[in-house]
Amino acid sequence: MSNQPGGTGNPKRGVSIYSYAGEYGVTMTLEDMFAEMHSIGAKGVEILANGHIENYPNPSQEWLENWDRLIAKYDIVPAEYGHWVDSRMYQGRELTSQESYDMLVRDFKLANRLGFKVLRTKLGVIDDTLTPVHNWREFIEMALPMAERYDVRMCPEIHVPTLLKSKMVDDYVEFIKKTGTKHFGLNIDFGVFETKRLPASEWGPDDFVMPESEHSPVEDIIPLLPYVYCCHAKFVKMSDDFEEMTIPYEKILRTLMEHNWDGYLVSEYEGPKKDVQGYAVDQVRKHHVMMKRILGK
Amino acid sequence: MLEKECIQQRGFRNVELDGKVTGFQINIRLTNYRGLWLSQLRPATIIVDGETFAGQQITWTINGVTYEQAELAERGDDHWSLLDPATLTVAKEGGLASGCHEIEVRFVYSSSYIPPVADTLLGSKPHKRTLILV
Repeated sequence: MSNQPGGTGNPKRGVSIYSYAGEYGVTMTLEDMFAEMHSIGAKGVEILANGHIENYPNPSQEWLENWDRLIAKYDIVPAEYGHWVDSRMYQGRELTSQESYDMLVRDFKLANRLGFKVLRTKLGVIDDTLTPVHNWREFIEMALPMAERYDVRMCPEIHVPTLLKSKMVDDYVEFIKKTGTKHFGLNIDFGVFETKRLPASEWGPDDFVMPESEHSPVEDIIPLLPYVYCCHAKFVKMSDDFEEMTIPYEKILRTLMEHNWDGYLVSEYEGPKKDVQGYAVDQVRKHHVMMKRILGK
Repeated sequence: MLEKECIQQRGFRNVELDGKVTGFQINIRLTNYRGLWLSQLRPATIIVDGETFAGQQITWTINGVTYEQAELAERGDDHWSLLDPATLTVAKEGGLASGCHEIEVRFVYSSSYIPPVADTLLGSKPHKRTLILV
C-alpha cells in the first residue's frame, strides 16, 4: 500500500455506494452506480459486501464475471470492502473467536476475488461508547496469516462518538505495533471532526440523527496516518455553493495532502432525504465538486 | 427493479392447497442498506384490516427455501439479500377478498455494531401499505 507518510501522491476520490442506498434496486442497479461514479471522476468504490454482492456470500460465476466487466468498463478501482463480524447474530450469545475468524476469512476470499485490498471491518460492540467485543484481539490475530495470504487489510472504522485520542484507538495502535502487522489498520470516518450541527429542522421525522457528542481536532489524525488505509469522507449536507455545512473539509484534506497521505476518500452521504429520489446522488456530486477543488483533481 | 416500499404490491395473492384457499402471500423487500443473516431476524407480526397474524401463522420464503418463524433464530448461514424480496405466507382459511386491504408488517433485526441497548432499533418502524388483491 502506498498510503504511508512520505509518499508522493495525493488523496484520491471515491464513493461508498452506501450513499445510494435509497436508490439501489429501486432506481439504480450496480451498473448505474458505477456509471454515476465514472461520470463524476470518482475512481475508488466502497461496496458493502452483504449489501451489494448478489447471493452473498456465494455469488454466481455470472455475477463475478459481470463485476469484472463493470470494473473494466467504468474504470473503477476496488477501494474498500465493507464487511461485518456480526457478533450478536445469534440471540442470547456472542460469536466465539472461531466463528468470528470463519466470518473474516470468508470475506477475505471474496474481497480478494473482487480485487479489494482494504477492508472496512465492522466489529460488534458491547456498550454505548462502541467498545469492541472482548475477544477482538484473539480473532483478529488468528486471522492475520490469512489476511496476508489474501492480501487484505482489516480496518475498523473510527466513528462518532469515538475520539481519535481515546483508549479504543490507542488499543488498536498498540495491537498494530505489538504484532508488527501490515494487515490491520484504521478507517477514519470524517464525522469525528464535526464542528457544527445541522439544524434539527433539516432532518425528517424518520431520520436517525446522531446524538450530540465531543469531536476530535483535525490534527489528531496526523500521528495515525501510518495506519490509515482508507477514509470515510462522511458528509451530511452540501450547500449550493459546494461547502459541507458541518465538517471542516478544507482543513482535513489539506492536512492529508501536507502529509502525503494518498489513500482513497470514499464519499459517504449520511444526511437527510436519502429516500428522496435523486437527492443523495446530487449530494455526492456536490461533494465531489468540493473535493476536486481542494485536491486539484 | 423493486417497488420503493418494503411491502410490495407484486406478489400479493391468495394461496391454495388441494383446491382450497388456505391463506395469502405478501412479498417484502429489505429496506436496510445491507442484507441480513436470517438469525438476525425476529419473528414478524402482520396486521391485515385489523386482524393480527403472528408466530406459526406466518412462514418466510427466502431464496426459495421456506422457514417456520421459530427456525430463523438458528439460520446463521442463510442470508436475505437486498434485491431478493422475501415471501411471507400467512395462514387464513378462505384467504382475503378481492379489493383493497390495509397491510401492516412488523419485524425487527439485530445490529451488532450498534450499542446492545439499541440492538433491534435500526429499521424497527412498522411498514404500512394499502395492497390491492385482484
